[in-house]
Amino acid sequence: MKSESKKLIIDGIWHNNPIFRQVLGICSTLAVTNLVLNTAVMCIALVFTLSLSSATVSLLRRFTPRGIRMMVETLIIAFYVIVVDLVLKAYWPEMSTNLGPYVGLIITNCIVMGRCEACGTINPPGPAFLDGLFNALGYTVVLLIIATIRELLGMGTFLGYPMPYFTGPHWDKWIIMVAPPGAFFTLAVVTWVFRSIGLRAEKKDK
Amino acid sequence: MRKKWWFPVAYMFVVTAFFSSIVIGFAQFTGDRVEANADLAFEKAVLAVLPGLLEEGESRLEIHRKFVERVGPPDEQIGGACRLTEAGRTVAYALPVEGQGFWAPIKGVIGLKDDRRTITGIAFYEQNETPGLGAQITTITFTSQFQGKVLASGDKPLNIRPPGAPLGESDVHAVTGATQTSTRLEKILNDALTQWYAKLAKISDASSTQ
Repeated sequence: MKSESKKLIIDGIWHNNPIFRQVLGICSTLAVTNLVLNTAVMCIALVFTLSLSSATVSLLRRFTPRGIRMMVETLIIAFYVIVVDLVLKAYWPEMSTNLGPYVGLIITNCIVMGRCEACGTINPPGPAFLDGLFNALGYTVVLLIIATIRELLGMGTFLGYPMPYFTGPHWDKWIIMVAPPGAFFTLAVVTWVFRSIGLRAEKKDK
Repeated sequence: MRKKWWFPVAYMFVVTAFFSSIVIGFAQFTGDRVEANADLAFEKAVLAVLPGLLEEGESRLEIHRKFVERVGPPDEQIGGACRLTEAGRTVAYALPVEGQGFWAPIKGVIGLKDDRRTITGIAFYEQNETPGLGAQITTITFTSQFQGKVLASGDKPLNIRPPGAPLGESDVHAVTGATQTSTRLEKILNDALTQWYAKLAKISDASSTQ
């Protein structure tokens, strides 16, 4: 693999992770992480939207006048989000109602606009696609970790399946974990842990 | 050409037209299916609450056909409920209920025997309660409690009691940690049932005076 692509992959998932490094897209991180299944679908939607809109912005980068580039980017992002929303509504209506307005709100997810601006407008489509893809996967990894912690502690299940011990009589379900405050606690702890690991690695390099 | 004053305007216009036409085409393509999904969710809920109608793994088409053949749409003649008939005789009713939940409207169906008092089942086909908490009203654990309960007369046919409380003949337990959803659901169900009884009384009055 070319070292450039490798750098994009590692940056998206670790050094420049959208959640615990760039602290972008926190609104959906807090909102859809109480069940692992909902989170997974949300993340797939973001992977699709982010990689393709970044590539499309990059395809048009030589023609788009600078003054209106944000409008064009929003339009492209909205296009992909509406496609995802329509697919869910038509073929998976239960999931569409579960996610409620959050699919539509991917349009305003700062990660998408941020990556289109930072990478899509200056790089060719290939690297822009990869950058979008791996930033979205970086988001996915962190969200799935948060969702797993919340669902397990709050409901004693994983993907809806009861887990041993956590559904037993010795575990009193922490209902607050599936309610909104649980998202704040978990996000803070996860960010803290990952940043501490990052800091330690940086010190060693020096 | 890119330096011309009109270029950004024309560019935006072309790009918008291009992406919009794809979205419009796609929405047209899925539109019928989206509409059918909403109808089907209701039909499936009706079949689920009536005794012995819904089987596991039935296709969308089978569900729809069964609904049309055996039950049919809500009928104002019986106060807006659906009716299950066998050999011309009514064996059960399915009453649609609707009202405001904690976050968004809750829509569901209650199934009743021909005595109009004994519950055969309950199902919710539209809700947006808190996942893991209020949303548990759609789980079997919650809905199966209703089966066989007998509605009381008066303005509170059904009671949703706190978890662990002793239960009477017309009581069920609430979902733990979802007080708001449970309180609102109790109101939705009781309002729908009392209104239905009032409508039925009016209809039978009208027919006996004729």
